[in-house]
Amino acid sequence: MIYFDNAATSFPKPKVVMAAMENYFFNIGGNTGRSGHKMAIEASELVFDTREYLAELFNIKDSARMVFTKNVTESLNLAINGFLKKGDQVITTSMEHNSVMRPLRYLEQIGKIKIFIVQANQEGIVDPVAFEDILRKEKIKLIVLSHASNVTGTVAPISAIAQIAKNYGSHTLIDAAQTAGAYPVDVTADGLDMLAFTGHKALMGPQGTGGLYIREGIEIEPLMRGGTGSNSEREIQPELMPDQLESGTLNIIGIAGLGAGVKYVLEHGVMKIRQIEMDLTEIFIRNAAKIAGVRLYGPQDINKRVSVVSLNIFGYDPSEVAYTLDRDYDIACRPGLHCAPSAHKTIGAFPQGTIRFAFGPFNNIEEINISLKALNQISKRKE
Amino acid sequence: MSAEFFIIFQSTHDVIKAKKALQKAYIAHEIIPTPKKVSAECGMSLKIEKTVLDQALEILRLKGVLFRIDLL
Ligand SMILES: Cc1ncc(COP(=O)(O)O)c(C=O)c1O
Repeated sequence: MIYFDNAATSFPKPKVVMAAMENYFFNIGGNTGRSGHKMAIEASELVFDTREYLAELFNIKDSARMVFTKNVTESLNLAINGFLKKGDQVITTSMEHNSVMRPLRYLEQIGKIKIFIVQANQEGIVDPVAFEDILRKEKIKLIVLSHASNVTGTVAPISAIAQIAKNYGSHTLIDAAQTAGAYPVDVTADGLDMLAFTGHKALMGPQGTGGLYIREGIEIEPLMRGGTGSNSEREIQPELMPDQLESGTLNIIGIAGLGAGVKYVLEHGVMKIRQIEMDLTEIFIRNAAKIAGVRLYGPQDINKRVSVVSLNIFGYDPSEVAYTLDRDYDIACRPGLHCAPSAHKTIGAFPQGTIRFAFGPFNNIEEINISLKALNQISKRKE
Repeated sequence: MSAEFFIIFQSTHDVIKAKKALQKAYIAHEIIPTPKKVSAECGMSLKIEKTVLDQALEILRLKGVLFRIDLL
């Protein structure tokens, strides 16, 4: 089987990820914070270490500002619901995943917030000037956008947008689902207020892991309140990070795996991983473009994207192509709307969607060549 | 008997941060369940001897760990 669905979840994972989870399962056990015995301390250290690795990867000064969640969807819900108050105004873009769109639309529906949408162009590119045009006229509390599109792989100019936001006293929340581990993310240099990420994609961790970074000085309401192992004498939620936003027992075994995944990324280097992925992406795009009937989406410029590629073959329903690739060629990719209807409208692929290929560092050139041959053969069947 | 001090924290994160910093500086310390008569802010505390207390506190302040001390 050839796995090209790394934008949904990465596969395979480095062996060290499972080894770390096994080590926790068999040798550490124990809950964090709740007790003072050696097993509890070891579990707490493990969670601490993962936090520190993530802080290093994203250049977060104080790792206590990074809380664990079960995925980026929870992180985005926590940030959106915890930060926005009644009457607040928000900017987002036409490229967003439903994990941004739906929590925002819900708050709009119940009359809590007002949303402004920045329209991306057909390549999925947003212009920072479009954000400034709105900021000049409206009081905006928060700008929410994805760092890279999960449909076209288009990378957004988050640094420029964050700078503009700051100039107008606004804030930024970045969905780094498709970039964390695959493209440089630097919360300090990029001047981000909040960063949401998921553990099971390019960070190589297991499913059920993710996190949210919240800059010092920004306070958000927790989604849940409960036991934290701290301030146990009080019946009121502690206000100290990370405990304030981490009620209940953490996914310690998952966090153990995530830590090993992030360590793997740090040791290999994000830019090295990106190089491998983009070399494959470049060859794939260049050759797929030559196949008659193939339409590619997203930016021409390889520097403006991550290793996510959407395409269509003329005369085919995307699901038919994906089904054929799976059945006849053992190639796994994802057809349809990828939880991002608005992005598909933006690139002109709604409602049928696209076929999405997402390459990872464990893919190789033979696999790319096999898939190109397959696409070529499929495209000829309908001529 | 040299006096023992308890360094008390508000969160587990700070306990571990302190532990790692002290380990790195080879300062003897012990993590113990916080004695009830001291406080219950966080379930774990650091027990440390008077002779190395000043050195330890210096390191923790440098590291930005949130804590307070108590004598038992
Ligand atoms: C841009 C983007 N945002 C959010 C998500 C949701 O991720 P998760 O299911 O891990 O919460 C994904 C991936 O599915 C994504 O690509």
